[in-house]
This record gives sequence, C-alpha cells and structure tokens, in this order.
Amino acid sequence: MTASDPHAFLALDLGTATSSAALVARVGHRWRLIGALAMPAAIEPDAIVELVLERATIADPNLARLVGSDVDDAVRSLPRLTARSARPQRLAVVAASERALVPLDDAARRSGWLVTAASPERMEPLAVTRALLDPGVDAVLVRAGEPPGPDERRSLDEVAALVAAAARRRPELTIVLAGAMAERLERFEAAGEHRQGEVLLGPSATSGEPPGLPLRELLEDMRAPSGDARRSIAQAAGALADALDRRVEIVDIGFNGGLRATASPGVGGARATVSASYVANACLVPAEVDDAAVDRVLAWSTFPIDRHRLRDRLRELRLVPWADAAGVGARLRLAAARAALAVLIEATASQSAEAAPDLIVASGGAWAVAPGPAVALAIADVVRRPAAVGIALDHARLLAPLGSIPDGTERRQLIGDVVDDMLAPLASVIIPGGVRAGHSAGRLTIHAGTGSTDLDLVPGSLELVDLPPGEVGTAELRFRDTVRLGGRGRHFAIDVAGGLGGLLLDLRDVPLRLPDRPDRRRELLEAWQDSLWVTRDR
Amino acid sequence: MNDDGIELVSRRTLVEGPTDIRFVLHPGDRPLVGAGDTVVPGTRLLERLRDARLTEVAAATVGAEAQPGGRWSAAETPPATSGPLRRTTGATAGELLFEAGGRWRLATGDHVESIETPVAGVVREVRPGTAITLQAEGRMMRGVEAHGDPTRGVLALGADRGEGSGEGLVLRHGSLDVGLAGSILVVGSRIEAETLTRARAMGLRGIVVASLAGKERRDFLASEGRQRAALHRLPTFAVLVLDGAFRRPIASPVATVLQALAGREVAIVTDPPGLVFNEPAIELAPPPWDLVRIRGGEHVGREGHWMGLAGQRRFVGGTFLEAGWVHVGGPAPVAIPLADLERFG
Repeated sequence: MTASDPHAFLALDLGTATSSAALVARVGHRWRLIGALAMPAAIEPDAIVELVLERATIADPNLARLVGSDVDDAVRSLPRLTARSARPQRLAVVAASERALVPLDDAARRSGWLVTAASPERMEPLAVTRALLDPGVDAVLVRAGEPPGPDERRSLDEVAALVAAAARRRPELTIVLAGAMAERLERFEAAGEHRQGEVLLGPSATSGEPPGLPLRELLEDMRAPSGDARRSIAQAAGALADALDRRVEIVDIGFNGGLRATASPGVGGARATVSASYVANACLVPAEVDDAAVDRVLAWSTFPIDRHRLRDRLRELRLVPWADAAGVGARLRLAAARAALAVLIEATASQSAEAAPDLIVASGGAWAVAPGPAVALAIADVVRRPAAVGIALDHARLLAPLGSIPDGTERRQLIGDVVDDMLAPLASVIIPGGVRAGHSAGRLTIHAGTGSTDLDLVPGSLELVDLPPGEVGTAELRFRDTVRLGGRGRHFAIDVAGGLGGLLLDLRDVPLRLPDRPDRRRELLEAWQDSLWVTRDR
Repeated sequence: MNDDGIELVSRRTLVEGPTDIRFVLHPGDRPLVGAGDTVVPGTRLLERLRDARLTEVAAATVGAEAQPGGRWSAAETPPATSGPLRRTTGATAGELLFEAGGRWRLATGDHVESIETPVAGVVREVRPGTAITLQAEGRMMRGVEAHGDPTRGVLALGADRGEGSGEGLVLRHGSLDVGLAGSILVVGSRIEAETLTRARAMGLRGIVVASLAGKERRDFLASEGRQRAALHRLPTFAVLVLDGAFRRPIASPVATVLQALAGREVAIVTDPPGLVFNEPAIELAPPPWDLVRIRGGEHVGREGHWMGLAGQRRFVGGTFLEAGWVHVGGPAPVAIPLADLERFG
C-alpha cells in the first residue's frame, strides 16, 4: 500500500493492449472488490478510474462515502497498486553448434523473450552479425558446453570473436556468457570501457533443478527487472494457492505473450511453490501474421473464412486489438486465444507433466469479450488432462496488481480476502482419459442441493449439467471400463462446484482429436461452442 | 450534444512535429554522412551493398588499430607477401566485422546502390551496420505500415470526397496515367497489387491508401523483391497504408490534410511509416471536438458526432461492450462500442 491504513485503493493493470482499473475497499473486516472496468490501452487510465468511481458511487452512495471513493479528487488521492506489462524484447541466442543451441533456445523462449537463434550450422557469420546489429535485438546470450563438445570446438573462437565485435559496436547490448564461453570473458571486457550494457556470467543452460531454471531466472530478471504484470501474476499464483489451499494453474494470454504459472500450496508453514513460464510466442496475434499463425487460428475457427480474409482480420486485430469485438470478432478472438494457448501448452511440456491442478484461472485480455462458459470450453479444449478441475476467470484483472505487493504475507492476506470476488467461477470440468468408444461408457449421478441428476456417459460427447455458481455437489461416475481420472479406476466420487457454465462432462479424446476436413472440424467446434455461447442471438 | 465521456474514445494524432526517421544499414553498407550533418532532399545518405558477402583478409594487412565496423580498403595498405585475400577474388574494400585466428572477416560486395534522403533534416546518429537516424524537418502524418523505399514526389489526389456518406476519400475511376509520373498519388480506400505495379511502371513515386489487403500486400512485396534483385532498378517507390487491411475510406480529417497538401512536395518514409511534409505556411485547423470515426464493426469507416456515453450494451452475437452514442446521419444516434471509435487531435 502506498498510504497508511487506507479504506480503499485502486488496482491498475496497464497492459500493452488493455488498461483495467478496479476499486478495492475494506468493507466490514475484509477487502472487497467494488467495481472494475477494462478498456483499450490508448485511453488514459485516469479516465477509466473516474468512470469506475462514478459508477460505484451511483450504485451504492453510502458505501462510496464510507470508503472515500466519492470525494472530488478520489481519482488522484486514492492509493494505487499498479502493474505494467514489460515491453516485448528480443534476445539473440548464439552457440557454436545446433546441439548447444537447443537448451539455450528453450530457456530463452520460456522466459518471455522473442528469440533470434543462430549457430554456424544455421547461419553464416555475415547473417549472424546482421542479426546482432539489428536495433531490435536487446540482449545476446552466447554459450558453449562445459567442456565444449567436438562439434563446438572448431567454431568456438570464431563465435566468441563475432559476438565480442558486435558487443563493441553496440555498447548498450547486455551480453550473457554461459558455460565455457565464460572463459572468454576477457575478450568481452576488452570490447569497450564505456559499455552501458552489462556483461554477465550466466549459469549453464542445463544446470539446476529442473534443468535450465537458474538461466531462465536470470533471463526473466533481465527482461523485466521489476513490476512486470506477468511476473506479478506468477507471484499471485502462489498466494492464491495458499489462500485456497489448492493446486492452481494460471494461464494468461495477452497481446504480447502468455504465461503459465503452476502453484502448489505450502505445507507446514512453508510458502507455496510456484513454477512459471513466460512465452512471447503465445501472444494473441504475432506482430507478423505468417502462414503458420493463420493455420493455427484457422484450426480453431468456428466460422467459415478463407485464409486471405482471416489473415486480414488477424492483422486488424493486431493493429487495433479492441476494435470489431462484437459478432464474429468475438469468435475470432476466442479462436486466436485457443491457438495462443496451444502454443503456450506446447512450450511448457514440463509443467504439463506435473500433477493436474484443482483450479485453472484464465487471465488476460484474450478472454475479455467471450461469455464465461465459452471461455471454460476453450480452456478445456486445449489444456486437456485426465482430471476434474475448476475453471475461473480473473474478470477484474486483479491478479497482476495484487501480485505486485512486495510483502508476501500482505499479498496472501489481501488475495485471501478478495478471492471470491476476483475469480468468476466459469465451470467445473471432468475429463476422463482412456474412455473406450461405444454406445455407453457408464453412468453419472450428480448429487446437489437441488436434487440428483442421472446421465448416460456417451464416449466422445460433451455433456452440460446445470450447476449454478455457488452451488456444490458430488459427481458420482461409474464407468464400465477402467479410465484415468487423476488415478486409474472405474468408480469415482468427485466434489464439484457450480459455475456460469455449470458442470462440463467432457468425454472427448485426450488430447482432443478433430476431423481433418476443415468444414467438418469447424462444424464440430461450432456445435460445441454454440452450446456454451450462452449470450448468442437466438 | 454531450461531451461526457469523450475522453474514453481513443485519440489519433493527426500530424506530429519533427520526427526521427531511420534508414537501416546492413553490414557492408557504407554511410556517406556523419552525425550533425545537415541534409536536403536528394542528399546521398548511404551506399547499399546489393550482394553482400563475407570475405577474409590477413590481420597483418589490416593493421593493429582496426576496429569492428571500420572500413578497409586494399588500396590504402600494401599487400602482404602471402596475399591479402585468400578465399575470394576481387574484394578490395569492405566493412570489418571481426577478427579471429589472425584473419579479419569483412563484408564486401560488387554492386552498390545509393540511397537518398527524401526529406531535409539533421543527421542525429550514424551506426555502421545498424542505422542512420535523421531528425526530419517539417511535420509527419503517421500510417500503420509502409512498403518499398523512402521516396519523394508531388502529392496528387486520385480520389474524391465520397458521395452518399459524405466523408473520407474514395478512389476516382481511371485516375492512373503517365501524367502522374513523379508524383505520390492518394488513391482512397483500397488498391490492388496489379495497380501498384502499374503505378510503379508509369513512374509514380508512391501511393497513399487507407487499407491494403493481405493478398495485395504479399503480391506487392514479391514484386518489390524481384525489383530489388534486378540489375537496373527503377526510381524509388513506396506504399503508405493509413489504416489497415479492411476496406474503408480515408478519414475526413486525414483527407483534409491530404487535400491541403495536393500539388506540394511530400515524402513517404518507412521507419516509422508516415508522410512527411515541410509546409510551414499550411495551417491545419483541428477537427471538430465531437467528430468520431468508426474503425471496426458494422459501420466501419463512417463518421459521426459524439453524443455521450451509452453504458454497457449488448451487441450482435451476444457480446457486451462499453458503448457511446454517435450520430451518424440517421434520425437517431446509434450505440457504437467505444473501442470501435477514434477521434482526432
């Protein structure tokens, strides 16, 4: 907090495409979310704040008076927690062989950098020099194995000389020497006394547990030293896991990248353990819409569109991310978000190997305009693991500003207070794995406060069970054959909580298999999505 | 009318003051100006290597004082007894890249072309292998992208004020002819790659257009690639895209600026993309405060007057968005998502 003992504060998440403002106030003995609004980043945050405060005052003048949000200068006088997205940056990754390049490339791509990878096997020295001198490159990571492999020794000196020469010509570049390249530090120190950029000795790309973690942490620090919204979200993941005492996974898809943060609650007074990956390529639409980007989105499209027109739509989406958000525009965003999420999941295979989370939280501007249940389905389509999970949405974009609170205890306390307000429950999803094809795989019985529901389990189907937010129940599943659902078995009893989309019983394949024919695939995706696009025109 | 909430509409800056413009230098390209130099349109800024390649030369030949990024010329130094060039023949000059194993690698080539500045200004920085940065004199109207090479010409309007909607510029039929050689033509809402190729062949220097579809963009870039590879290049040519990929007329405040500049010398620059003009005598009145333009959705390209905030509204397809009332000419104002609107300043 920036003021001592305030009754209310503003939480601002200032992203590249979206600015959001939320009013959080102490009501009774706990913090509550009073109101929030998200708008295009081109709009002044103060104008958004003013509208939030105005609406809060109209909705409940007494509360506004109590928390002090109705005073004339509240826009300026209320304390603020602000998280800003770091600008996208490019890292040139250079190694003396393709083999040595692979772990570097992986570490760089999972720490949020846009990456230009180069090795003598891939590019000739002139092209590597051109890449390093490109003003779009912000830092260079150069590595040799410890000890250098036979395939590296031949060109190690040449690579070191090339990078050192570029460092001399671009004194603002930060250079990281990893592995045996650290032995050539003198060459880089001689590159200039008046360098503004640092020359850092980095850990090996394969050291640490899991391998590469220390290098990734260094690269994350370089990319966004402090206050970056996505790093704050990762910190919030730990606090959320502790507050809920559940395994939590946050998937954030934004304009310039994605984040996957998995957190397990601390045991015996220990703090939560968090692992986070930042993937620049998992952005809603890349800066240059190439064929691969078009193909990725086309594969998830739920409306008929040819490649040229889709490319144009994606270019427009990149130029003006909030425009044309109604109608097909909303479906395009959800298709692009699915494609970005697939990139994120593919880039973070090690996190997929961890235990399945109890709760997945969707965050970021990509999910802003679709109805909640459709967002839940989009996540279930891509993040497919045989498990029962709850899916929620950070609808007020509070995770980043609250995660930016430096004190861990205060952070956990605040998130514990507002957790029910900040997370909109979208759905509970049950995804059994290894369901055999056939007419019926078994029976499901839902015991909830409103009574019991009985359903046939049809392989390949997506069943919706009405279970409103706030309601809890038990899903009793009896399969004919053994399936995977957390563990292996035939009979399962799972506690489920309601959401905007109720309970989704997802008996489709894990991973999802879709028809090869584009029109059939599109029809199938559209049918599934339409059943959950609850606000569609009828 | 109601000015309530117009600050929640994104503002697009119509014209900016003096702007830094960048000309990319690749390794081997030779800058011909230095920081602090004053340049006028047509001044040669750099020599670009069209066929850059790597070659080697003995370190002893180059000298101990040599630095990466420096120029080396065989004529300036006596040849070593073992011969200065080993792998290649004919390389007599180039840019030093790095030294390893007692040999310097340098970027060299046989064919160079001169790049001229289309604008006047002062050279702020020269970084061999990276860029020349120039502070341009005059004002700039930004676009979203520009393709081709920086260019200069007399601005000509190949478009008229649209009828019906009464706003923006739309393409005038049959407006391309050889009489426009040397000019930069404003063509309105959209253009095809074939027309761009024809315009270049007719000697036009550039095109200003509201939108360029992806297919046309790809075809034009392929044509540009072939043009660059050709031995004898045609004069510079550039396409400045003002809005994006979807068809829409040029916004009326932008059209007003372009009409004021018709018949005057302007330049298209590519980094950042924009139209630069140095006409201090032209005074540009700000557009009405309540003028808003719809840049996406059902009414894309239309303009109207801001009537106040409409709150959260349900739009087609069941999407709920913050909206504003806009009078677009009908009997009553319509609710438009705030994010689909822009105003000018």
